[in-house]
Amino acid sequence: MIVTKRHLRRRTFLRGSGVALALPLLDAMVPALTPVANTAAAPVRRIGFVYYPNGVIQEQWFPAAAGTAFEWTPSLGALSPHRSRLVVLSGLNHEPAEPGADSAHPVAQAAWLSAVHPITKGGVRLGTTADQIAARELGRFTPLPSLELALEAPSQIACDSGDCFFSSTISWRTPTTPNPMEGHPRVVFDRLFGDGGSADERRRLVRQDASILDSVTRELQRLDRTLGATDRTKLGEYVESVREIERRLQRIEAGNRQSPLALPDRPVDVPESFGEHAEVMFGLLALAFQADMTRVFTLLMGRESSNRTFPEIGVPDAHHNISHHNSRPDAIAKKAKIDTYHVQLLTSFLDTLAKAQDGEGSLLDHSLLLYGSGLGDGNLHGHDNVPAVLAGGCAGRLEGGRHVALRSGTPLANVYVTMLAMVDVPGAERFGDSTGPIAGL
Amino acid sequence: MTGLRKGAIGLTVWLCVTPGFEPAHGAQEPGVTAAGAVQRAPRALLDRYCVTCHNTRLKTAGLALDALDLSDTEGSAETLEKIVRRLQTGDMPPAGQPRPEPAIARAAAGQLASALDRAAAANPAPGAPPAFRRLSRTEYRNAIRDLLALPDLPREMDVDVVLPPDNSTTGFDNLAELLFVSPTLLDGYLTVARRISRLAVGDPTIPPLVETYRFPLDLRQDEHLDPLPPGTRGGASIRTTLPLDGEYLLRVEFAGRGAGTEQVVTAIDGAEVSRVPVFGPAGRPLAEGRFLEEPLALKAGPHEIAVAFVQRLATTTELLVRPALRGRGTQPSMASVTITGPARASGPGDTPSRQRIFVCHPARGDEARSCARRILARLARLAYRGPVAAEDVDELAAFYDAGAAEGGFEHGVQQALARLLVSPLFLFRIERDPAGTTPGAVHELDDLALAARLSFFLWSSLPDDTLLDLAEGGLLRRPEVLHQQVRRMLADPRAGSLVTNFAAQWLYLRDVASRRPDEDAFQNFDEGLRQAFQRETELFLRHVLLEDRSVIDLLRADYTFVNERLAKHYGIPHVYGSHFRRVDLPADSPRKGLLGQGSILMLTSYATRTSPVLRGKWILDNLLGSPPPPPPPNVPALEESAAGDRPLTLREAMVRHRANPVCASCHARMDPLGFALEHFDAIGRRRHRSESGAPIDASGVFPDGTAFDGADGLRQALLDKRDRLVSTLTEKLLMYALGRRITHADAPAVRAIAQGAAAQDYRFSAIVLGIVHSAPFRMRQALPTAPSGVAASTQRPGD
Repeated sequence: MIVTKRHLRRRTFLRGSGVALALPLLDAMVPALTPVANTAAAPVRRIGFVYYPNGVIQEQWFPAAAGTAFEWTPSLGALSPHRSRLVVLSGLNHEPAEPGADSAHPVAQAAWLSAVHPITKGGVRLGTTADQIAARELGRFTPLPSLELALEAPSQIACDSGDCFFSSTISWRTPTTPNPMEGHPRVVFDRLFGDGGSADERRRLVRQDASILDSVTRELQRLDRTLGATDRTKLGEYVESVREIERRLQRIEAGNRQSPLALPDRPVDVPESFGEHAEVMFGLLALAFQADMTRVFTLLMGRESSNRTFPEIGVPDAHHNISHHNSRPDAIAKKAKIDTYHVQLLTSFLDTLAKAQDGEGSLLDHSLLLYGSGLGDGNLHGHDNVPAVLAGGCAGRLEGGRHVALRSGTPLANVYVTMLAMVDVPGAERFGDSTGPIAGL
Repeated sequence: MTGLRKGAIGLTVWLCVTPGFEPAHGAQEPGVTAAGAVQRAPRALLDRYCVTCHNTRLKTAGLALDALDLSDTEGSAETLEKIVRRLQTGDMPPAGQPRPEPAIARAAAGQLASALDRAAAANPAPGAPPAFRRLSRTEYRNAIRDLLALPDLPREMDVDVVLPPDNSTTGFDNLAELLFVSPTLLDGYLTVARRISRLAVGDPTIPPLVETYRFPLDLRQDEHLDPLPPGTRGGASIRTTLPLDGEYLLRVEFAGRGAGTEQVVTAIDGAEVSRVPVFGPAGRPLAEGRFLEEPLALKAGPHEIAVAFVQRLATTTELLVRPALRGRGTQPSMASVTITGPARASGPGDTPSRQRIFVCHPARGDEARSCARRILARLARLAYRGPVAAEDVDELAAFYDAGAAEGGFEHGVQQALARLLVSPLFLFRIERDPAGTTPGAVHELDDLALAARLSFFLWSSLPDDTLLDLAEGGLLRRPEVLHQQVRRMLADPRAGSLVTNFAAQWLYLRDVASRRPDEDAFQNFDEGLRQAFQRETELFLRHVLLEDRSVIDLLRADYTFVNERLAKHYGIPHVYGSHFRRVDLPADSPRKGLLGQGSILMLTSYATRTSPVLRGKWILDNLLGSPPPPPPPNVPALEESAAGDRPLTLREAMVRHRANPVCASCHARMDPLGFALEHFDAIGRRRHRSESGAPIDASGVFPDGTAFDGADGLRQALLDKRDRLVSTLTEKLLMYALGRRITHADAPAVRAIAQGAAAQDYRFSAIVLGIVHSAPFRMRQALPTAPSGVAASTQRPGD
């Protein structure tokens, strides 16, 4: 697994001085890196959600034929090696993405995993997103309940409503608290594997953090007593975060062992090329799954209204701009190229997951991933027939190799209900505008 | 009495803006019947021009102006402010509909506004921001800088890397309601607190630092780069802070092939320390594996480490024969520079951070604890921004005790510091409502809360000792003290945050970094030009805002700041060298003010072409304060060509787009503004033909009928609306100062501040002082109560 280009030698000698300079020995780090014994008898299932912005060229995305005999379309063709682990869905409508008087792009992104229309008046409000509902259950077993990553930072000019707050993340812990998304590979690496070069050092740091949080809790209680009657919403978020990190430290402490996995070099920086950035971040996600650091992730490949350009594939135009192609053939071709390129990047991720041994199978066999968007026809900001591809075997629960053509207008939220049930998350029979699970998945 | 006085002000405004206009009856009887005066002229105007759409039956945009009681300045304030704004900006009635004479519209707006101002003066509504607001990432970084004397953090612990970004798409990233706390963020806080406390104290066990700077692929290294030593080309200057005295390894990774002898020069804090040959006569690398490794003996603390190639005289001819494509240049270049260390650390040294922290050194073992408490109490007062309770020092001292037992005095202080940096009292700004206040009641902020509002507004950082001393002495609220402190703070280098934090977000300048103009269409764009754009605008804003010029200069300044590269790009002759200097622009220069600067022109363009829509929208958002609503859903974007026809020019396409009435009302406002700037291409170069090859038509008309042509014409038209620029800047600055969205209730304060600034030639300090003395800044409204006990309410793990 290539996580980064090698920029540093592990041990560097000061020339002429003969003094060895010990860099942090990354492969000696010992987080809770023990892969679980993933067996058919006691399967571990993992779930992930990947967001792609600005809709797709639907004509080049959806296969014509339904069922197992479908033919690959230009945009999805790269996925063909993983056919048996894929289900292409069509006919899904995402009504919560209807913008009303708000701006179409941020609404589509916010609504994607929440299946709720965002509200800004009188305080920001959305809904707990599907990944976080999964994390409440699956996150009980891992140091990090979930991981939220992004390949793009927010932009002010690309915001057409003055309120694009909702395009900064796709993951909300609660209806009022979004999770920030991390884009720097080194920061993600450090979150996964921590400071500290040995098991003892790491144990010491964990205990230090735990005692800091104990002390912070005392301070919060004192503060709370002196406040009198006032709004404590923000304080509550802090308290909740303290609790969450405390739980995490306990899990790390319990699972702190010597790792049998060889860790890659610590990434240095955000790679300049988008493709490399995606590769590094997908690599870290695969590693997080393999090391059982988390079983839930979200990845934002680009923000809605993203104006990223892709000269590397012959599209020097801004993504959002070109997505409003207005039926111009050259613009359609370029947007389709961007669609295809992202699917290729996803395919490399699936390659990695398929190669990674996970108990009696591969990570791909045991995972359940959704790749999709809150917009269908980006040109018209349409949210009917949104793209959605399920990948992975979900430990025997997802039968791949199919194009499932649903009755037109089936709520996208039904996919979440189905997915959450497939990974044994209880109490998620209804979600947003869902009408029930999707039959035959 | 008050009514009379205010009435007189209303009258002045009225007469000023309506030369030659027959005064309406309202103005003839100032202050006599305030409500009656408000009623007549505006009512007639609304009845004539507005109620055709905005009436009880149609309720267009939710407004029924026929049924609106114009004297109801309390209950209908929101609608009345909307009317005032529409009349002032001339955005309504929509283009093509009958509209009042601008003078009459402004007069009516003035009349409504003074009634609203009177009502607001009698009943201020300063707003109720959340009682808790977390520091933004920028504020946290600056607080660390000022608390621990750490101007430049190593990238390992760079707050801007380790902490997740705050949302800035809603205007500013310091809006209290959008500063959330998450486990991810707290995780980041714990990490940076641990690393920074070890750096600041000079922890001898700190893991080696790996500080890598990677050169952008399109930063040309053929030329001299500011601020590197003269006689060099390419290279980088790295500002960082080293934790310990000791040996550090400098490692330079090269890229590209050499044609001749090359040398690399290294300078520490401006003094050359070495000059090493790296490529031989035939351009063969001398250094093993295309790396240069050089040990450096360095002291702990802040350093500027510069590495660059020695400029060879022969290279100019090479540049003539090889085209300058986007890339690292035609000569050997650097791919990365890494500083690693320390090895053989010899001690913590004497750094500014240690001087700041260790205000005492225990001579005997039994003095250690009291010395530590002194250190911690002092840091806590600054970090927590006020007097510190004994219990809060105890909390820190407990960490000192544990740490000291484990690793001695300094280790103890480091552990306590790591704890302090995640304290809620540090991470949150807390504004308490006085005991017994009823929800909604207005009260003046106490001195300490005022000190914090001041310092986070003007410095994006903690109050310093001076402010805290004044606040604790109860003196800060005195108007003359406050005034003097604002002057002092604006003169302090920390006020640079008004440029780098406020203005950069106001004008979207942060986006300049992520723009990628098309490589084919804009071959001479590269990282060097991008950096020049950023530098020009930053220097310009510094000059106007911090040297206290009239903010109207933002539009009209006949000077700017350029280096050779940028001057060539702009066509300004006789500017040589990489350093930036102020240049005067000729009287007919199209470059005057912000609208002629590459940064703004590029960030409002697409990668392949200009966008009159983005440019127009940027002007409406940021200069005129009248942002258009989001585009309606399911409306196709531009039709750029009809099948079989020749390609439409952008203007023709926009005309077609505007033919759709749904699009027309907004695009009629945006597009003309943007088209006026069409003589500048997507990277701000002058041009006479558009991307499609058609000659440029840069004429346009405001919805109110004012015509203009080209950048100059637009600039003049905007200067005629300078009151809009001032109100918009005031509104943005107030939003930033308060960290909350601006509502209709703030409009009276904005008007008063802008009018006050007018009397002082719109100097920036006049606007700042106006804000600081305004009700929204000095006061707050008590929040609705919520049950206490949040901190104890959630189940703790293991309970």
